[in-house]
Amino acid sequence: MARFIIRRLLWVVVLLLAVTLLTFIIFYLFPSADPAALRAGRQPSPALIEQIRHQLGLDRPWPVQYLDYLKGVVLHFDLGYSYQNSISVRTQIFDRLPATISLAVGAAVVWLFIGITVGIISAVRSGSILDRMTMGGALVAISAPVYWLGLVALYLFANDIGVVKIFPGAGSYVPLSQDPAKWFTSLLLPWFVLAAAFAAIYARLLRTTMIESMAEDYIRTARAKGLSERRVILRHALRSAITPIVTAAGLDVGVLFGGAILTESVFNVPGVGRLAFDSIQNSDLPMIQGTVLFAAFFIVTANLIVDVLYAFIDPRVRY
Amino acid sequence: MNAVNPPSRAPDGTGRLMERTCMRTFMRASALAATLAFVVAGCGGGSEKKGTGGTASGAPVSGAKSGGHLDVLSASDIDSLDPGYWYYQYDYMAVGLPTQRWLYSWAPTATTPTPDIASGMPKTSADGKTVTIKIRPGIKYSAPLKGRTVKAADIAYAFARDLNPRTGNGYAGAYYANIVGADKVQSGKTDKLAGVTASNDTTLVIKLTKPTGAISTAQALALPGTIPVPEDYAKKYDKGSQSSYGQHQVFTGPYMIKNNGNGKLTGYVAGKRIELVRNPDWNGKQTGDYRPAYLDSITFLGGNDLAVGSRKILSGRSMISGDYAAPPTAVLKSALSSRKSQVSIHGAGSIRFIALNTKVKPFDNVNVRRAVAAVINKNTLRLTRGGPALGTIATHFIPPDLSGFDDAGGTAGPGADFTKNPQGDLQLAMSYMKKAGYSSGKYTGKSVLMVGDNQPPASKTGEAVQSQLQQLGFKLNYRQVPHPTMLSKFCGVPKAAVAICPNLGWGKDFFDGQSMVDPVFNGKNIAQTNNSNYAQVDDPKINSLLAKASASTDAGERSKLYGEVDKTITEQAYVIPWIWDNDVNLESSNVAGVNNKFNVSWDLVFTSLKGGST
Repeated sequence: MARFIIRRLLWVVVLLLAVTLLTFIIFYLFPSADPAALRAGRQPSPALIEQIRHQLGLDRPWPVQYLDYLKGVVLHFDLGYSYQNSISVRTQIFDRLPATISLAVGAAVVWLFIGITVGIISAVRSGSILDRMTMGGALVAISAPVYWLGLVALYLFANDIGVVKIFPGAGSYVPLSQDPAKWFTSLLLPWFVLAAAFAAIYARLLRTTMIESMAEDYIRTARAKGLSERRVILRHALRSAITPIVTAAGLDVGVLFGGAILTESVFNVPGVGRLAFDSIQNSDLPMIQGTVLFAAFFIVTANLIVDVLYAFIDPRVRY
Repeated sequence: MNAVNPPSRAPDGTGRLMERTCMRTFMRASALAATLAFVVAGCGGGSEKKGTGGTASGAPVSGAKSGGHLDVLSASDIDSLDPGYWYYQYDYMAVGLPTQRWLYSWAPTATTPTPDIASGMPKTSADGKTVTIKIRPGIKYSAPLKGRTVKAADIAYAFARDLNPRTGNGYAGAYYANIVGADKVQSGKTDKLAGVTASNDTTLVIKLTKPTGAISTAQALALPGTIPVPEDYAKKYDKGSQSSYGQHQVFTGPYMIKNNGNGKLTGYVAGKRIELVRNPDWNGKQTGDYRPAYLDSITFLGGNDLAVGSRKILSGRSMISGDYAAPPTAVLKSALSSRKSQVSIHGAGSIRFIALNTKVKPFDNVNVRRAVAAVINKNTLRLTRGGPALGTIATHFIPPDLSGFDDAGGTAGPGADFTKNPQGDLQLAMSYMKKAGYSSGKYTGKSVLMVGDNQPPASKTGEAVQSQLQQLGFKLNYRQVPHPTMLSKFCGVPKAAVAICPNLGWGKDFFDGQSMVDPVFNGKNIAQTNNSNYAQVDDPKINSLLAKASASTDAGERSKLYGEVDKTITEQAYVIPWIWDNDVNLESSNVAGVNNKFNVSWDLVFTSLKGGST
């Protein structure tokens, strides 16, 4: 196991290098805006644009720029400064990371709880009215765009613009360190909205895998041994059926750590997703690099954790 | 206003506007979903009774009371903290006007500059090349320069910073290029600007290489690049590739960004929040500052969704809109029917237009251009943006309130037949095509390249243009790309040979035709990158008129000349102007919002709460 983890950690480094390189190449080779021209304003002379390009270091060959960037990241964990507002990229990302993590983790808890519960019930009661209702509801949740769902949730339940004023509305987020109770209540609506589609997908996925595993010989054996139905379902059927859920959850949470742009936007949760969106609009390469690097880090780390978890969940998996 | 006002409200014109323009389009896209959400959620416009006095006038309020706190809901953030960088509407609204004093500024209803730090209008020498400005003594800086007063040398240093590429100023190249030594600072040869000096603490002298009307009339001096920057304090931050002075700046206005008194801003969190509090060192009343500054504190809250934020403002208290574009159609419609007095609609001083590249066939032929101008249904294009509330159908380029507008024919326009019918006129268009040599009245040549924005509402405008041109037989190779790409890789690059750019816009920098027509139609401005002369117009008549107008220090003469330029542009159909934009601003019912005509947004130093600190 230790060798496996070390090997995977090395791969994480390689992958992150590849991601940064790819981002650089995309920025330079594909049509985008010229940051120097953006900064030069009205009627700039070519000389002025060149001068700005020089000051931003954009006139050097891109491999040189890339190596300088890497040096900064590896030696000083320096992600550079935003072309847009001249503020440290690292500072801005770290400033927003807690909100994104709060949103992603909370939503993951909600969707795993709902998705697994509904999935198990639907699988056990397959074909029943309850099963049909929950799976129908799941289809609706999957189909509803998260932005639209967010607006509807706010117009129905937000305490400022809602019809039934229950939950804090958009822009109410406060950091956990500042006020845990307010942090919790301010994120309730975003959590449920973000979790809705995921919960629906997980429920349908788990239902399918559970139905398959419930038909396996070892389940019949377990029942023949006289184990309670609860134990058969939770300890035997669920344990083997849940592997794909763990895989999906690892990836999904990793992706969300990189930012949930729409949810962050509609609820005004100041997270990394919105920062990434803005930096792409502004051709702000240092910020794009920083946000992509963080997103990639979370995704590969989540994958690593998932792989390690496999060994504990499924006794057949050995590294 | 900036090269098009605030980014978020800016017409999709110049390079620097795109970021927020894109955010605007992003928000607009969201509006569709919002509309549906309204239907589903069954949410109406609230219970307040219909306003009786039309939309909010935004006029200054007599007898306003002091006190209270105001929240400004915004979608995005200011572009920079550096006064030398500020160029867009939201920069001006949030920090430029409330926290600093400018050499010349803009009172809410003014269309000519108002002396602020300056004690009067500039005096220009007989040869037009020396401009002298007296400044008021005793204007104080905030901590950590407590007790220190503004000197003419601080403004001279500000000019030098504007021209230094390190600052990233967006307009210095356009308006300060005639200052002696400007080229040397821009090219990085020196940090010292020879042409702006302080002959004593209260006298600023600007030496010009040639007479420059925009400086002599103070129009180009009423920009935030004239905010004083004390060199000995700022120098340590003006190093490296980008200045960090903005994050340590000192203030001269009635408000300041909350700070620790040692030059560190604590009230600014990028993208999230700007907290303005009263500047205890502001001595405006003793030093001629004309602004009342009623509010005790103001907080700008970024990251708000357009649909949600608009509703919060309308139904909440002590809130106004910040960098928002117009609210989503459903919200605006609802507000205009039930909360009219909370909606302020004003002309933005900007234009949206379609550029026809005169260097690409068949648009080198004036009759083809006129045919296109004739067939375009401007009403349809306006509907793609949200309808009449969003602007007035344009009949020529210079928008209302600017010098040159009336001289170009006012609202009716110069009167060319191909601009007369806002619904478009296919028969007239075909007659022009026949004059251009297309006997059938329809285009029969090769397909032409059109490049537009890929985000609504601009993408919808582009699609409408496509459909209208097809009526004239045009086969279009229509590419839709992100807005920044459209400008920096296609429409702003002559080598790309784009024939039609349907999603362009341009806004005033001040109330003078120069900032509207010179960058877009002067032949000398055709550049290989970042080109703003999108139609590649190099018309000797226009060039000559622009040169004459630029040197003129007589406001009346400038107005006539820019009007003449505008008439020629219309006559030659180099571009097809289709809407003079409006800006739509929202306020809560207990806010007495005052609109600033120059910035076309709320003026926070005149805005107050009804009843004071409630």
